[in-house]
Amino acid sequence: MRLKIIRLSTIAAFIIILLNLIYIQVIKGGYYFDLSLHNRIRLLSLEGPRGRIKDRHGKILADNRLSYDAAVVPWGVDETQPELFSFLSKVLSLDQKKLLEKYEAKRTASFVPVLLAEDISRDQAILLEENKYRFPSLLIQEAYRRQYPFYAEGAHLLGYVGKINRLRMEELKEYGYVPQSLFGYGGVEEYYDAYLRGEEGGVQIEVDNRGQQVRLLGLKDPRQGQDITLTVDADIQVSAQRLLEGKSGVIILMDADNGEILGLTSAPTFDPNVFLNPQARREVSALFSHSSSPLFNRAIQGVFPPGSVFKMVVALSALSTQKINSRKTFFCPGFYELGGMKFGCTHEHGTEDLEGSLAHSCNVYYYNLGLLVGAQTIYKYAHDLGLGSLTYIDLPYEEKGFVPHQQKGLLASGQRWYAGDTLNLSIGQGMTLTTPLQLARMMALVASDGKQVHPHVIKMIGEKSIERYDSNKEIPLDKNILKIIQKALRQAVVDSSGTAHALNVEGLYVAGKTGTAQSSGKKENHAWLVGYVKGKKNISFCVFLEHGGSSYNACVIARDLLLDLRGKGIL
Amino acid sequence: MGLAALYSASFQNIRVTQQVFYDQLFCAALGLGIMYFLKRVDYRKFYDLAYIFYGLNILLLLFVLMMGRYALGARRWMEIGALSFQPSELAKLSLIFVLGRYFSNRRPTLSFNFASKAQLLFRDLIFPFLLTAVSILLIFKQPDLGTSLLLFGIFLIMLFVTGLEYRYLMGFTGACLALMPFAWHILKSYQKDRLLVFLNPNIDPLGAGYTIIQSKIAIGSGQWAGKGWLAGTQNQLNFLPERHTDFIFSVIGEEWGLLGAIFLMYCYFVLIDSGFQIAEQLKDKFGLFLTMGIVSILILQVVINVGMVMGLCPVVGITLPLASYGRTSFLVFMIMMGILLNINRKRLFS
Repeated sequence: MRLKIIRLSTIAAFIIILLNLIYIQVIKGGYYFDLSLHNRIRLLSLEGPRGRIKDRHGKILADNRLSYDAAVVPWGVDETQPELFSFLSKVLSLDQKKLLEKYEAKRTASFVPVLLAEDISRDQAILLEENKYRFPSLLIQEAYRRQYPFYAEGAHLLGYVGKINRLRMEELKEYGYVPQSLFGYGGVEEYYDAYLRGEEGGVQIEVDNRGQQVRLLGLKDPRQGQDITLTVDADIQVSAQRLLEGKSGVIILMDADNGEILGLTSAPTFDPNVFLNPQARREVSALFSHSSSPLFNRAIQGVFPPGSVFKMVVALSALSTQKINSRKTFFCPGFYELGGMKFGCTHEHGTEDLEGSLAHSCNVYYYNLGLLVGAQTIYKYAHDLGLGSLTYIDLPYEEKGFVPHQQKGLLASGQRWYAGDTLNLSIGQGMTLTTPLQLARMMALVASDGKQVHPHVIKMIGEKSIERYDSNKEIPLDKNILKIIQKALRQAVVDSSGTAHALNVEGLYVAGKTGTAQSSGKKENHAWLVGYVKGKKNISFCVFLEHGGSSYNACVIARDLLLDLRGKGIL
Repeated sequence: MGLAALYSASFQNIRVTQQVFYDQLFCAALGLGIMYFLKRVDYRKFYDLAYIFYGLNILLLLFVLMMGRYALGARRWMEIGALSFQPSELAKLSLIFVLGRYFSNRRPTLSFNFASKAQLLFRDLIFPFLLTAVSILLIFKQPDLGTSLLLFGIFLIMLFVTGLEYRYLMGFTGACLALMPFAWHILKSYQKDRLLVFLNPNIDPLGAGYTIIQSKIAIGSGQWAGKGWLAGTQNQLNFLPERHTDFIFSVIGEEWGLLGAIFLMYCYFVLIDSGFQIAEQLKDKFGLFLTMGIVSILILQVVINVGMVMGLCPVVGITLPLASYGRTSFLVFMIMMGILLNINRKRLFS
């Protein structure tokens, strides 16, 4: 009967419903459950403070200080809005309208606090906090700001931090960097950013359909990043930077036996604290546009002609290929003639042997040697000594310099190699370019009888010390030959007519080589002084003055530095 | 059970006040009273009153259209003093009375000749349809698509029960279907959206599709045993709109899970099936039609509402009997229960 039909249809309908229920609730239940969670749970991240940077004795070079930010949580602002903002503007001494505009512009979800003023003074923070009962949506947030207690000393070594830029974001977002992350720029801050970074924590909150926070579900505390201990000695660093004040140049001190950098300074320098000061924008842009490039780390990024310092390389190559022995002499009348042109020397040296030529820095001797040995051979030994290649120091943006190759150079510039080019090469002019660090490493090699160390600036990450730096290489050079060079360098200091005589400090075994390199254009020459000290530690050093004039100026600085360090008991 | 669900829906939230619960509670009490009262009232009295009742209802509907309270984009409520009620709910009842009376007076006729065929049609089909149509139109204009379709459904089922020959039924349905494209244009845009979204809820996840998606999330996330009374997150945190009315089943699904949902469906099923059992044994035509009318309302509302909430049907604004909030609706259903009880009684004693 008809009733039966209806009845059966009804049963069928119910069965369909039942089946569908089973489908939604059982089969796809998990899926829907997840969706329901997703609807209501939000995650906010909290950034952890950065690890500190310390010198080898534990002095803090980069730290975090507690700073206060004033923020407003949009939830609940409506009623108290005008009074809240007038109060804020009074306490913070900021224009009320601007505050409101900023608030409107930056607000997002209703539970996300809107940052209105960064790094306010403690008194301001206290005042705001005291009035919180009146304005419950006012929030004083604590943040950590990077602080460099040594200001400009060591700026290049340390680098600075700032908000990450888009380019790096793209590369690094898989590692957890978000647009508001801090990132190191330059120096140790950049190179070891991954270790210094604080570990992110987070807050898990429950929201309703309007995105309003209902309650706190979970909290993961953010953790501080790892501290990094440098090989650098703060005392040395400070002394070095002070000596370069007002000048433009580099001082590097390195342990000749293991490559630990004891001091690395570049001038002109800057105060890295300005990058974190929101009021100091103008200073920051001034730094970027300054004509003398204070942000440029001349120690590893600067490439300059080595000048007379390069003579060591020529001497070494001549001795090693047995073109001469140590007693070979040449006569220097003050100039050298080749192809109708006169190549000058600083003095009329008369007859010079190898030792004397290095001690007195005679160009003519080396013009002769250069032609004898040939540019190709010089190239090889220059590379053996580490010039023209990276030292792989753990700082970013190192340059590798350039040593001209007789044949390859031709193809590049299309010009023939002339004998005159060899002459220039022999005295470290022409196209040759080195970084101060390369020269410091070279000196260490000479001092240690052929061990090429790997320069590095860090000693420990967290509590673990870095052991991997035994990638020191033994360069296959005749030790006796090196001893000859060493003796010559010592002579340069000890001999009263030695170019480095100013360094003859009582009680210290100092050896070195000066260099005066002509720079292009009308500017003053560059002044070099590279050498090493043997004593408690064997320390190789490099002093460079960009457009510093005579190398004597570099010697003076080096001497002051050595005296200072001896006074401090380091040497 | 419906009461418990309503409590949850209105618990602790800003949009829907607890008042809703108390209202419904009151109506429940009142309704129960009415139900028991009607149990004793001879339902045949309604027979006499049928036309008058219906006519009154029509008037009420007209009134509503003209002066009714406007809420949620529709004029559905009449206010008398401090109380308001929905005539469209009453219309369901009055329609049953009217159709019941009308159909019970017809005898199944045979087709003699053409002339009388037309007469036949007229009597058995068209006239009752026209009667119904008046209500449908008035309600549609409120606008309340759901209830008007519901009335149409009631008509169809009761017509089916009259025993009208299949070909007429088919023809009629065919004609109606043919009119659908025209009907499409009469629909308001949001109603059209609802139909489109029914086909694919993801077209408009924040607008028309939002409700269905949220509803499915709510039901699905209840899984076996639900999240617990008052603990439905979709519901408590306001993700689910209309949860105290059309979507109360979602709340039940979320909080009581599959088991709860099945239990509720079972309750309805028992109710409906007992209706069937009563109907089968009736000889009295009027009683039969009344019973079937009531049963049909139950079937249609339950199936459509649950289907709607699960995404099986487009959202049409049909509430779940006795569970969704709606005082008039609740009372009307209680009246219907009372009548059923009376019919049952009479059946036993006749």
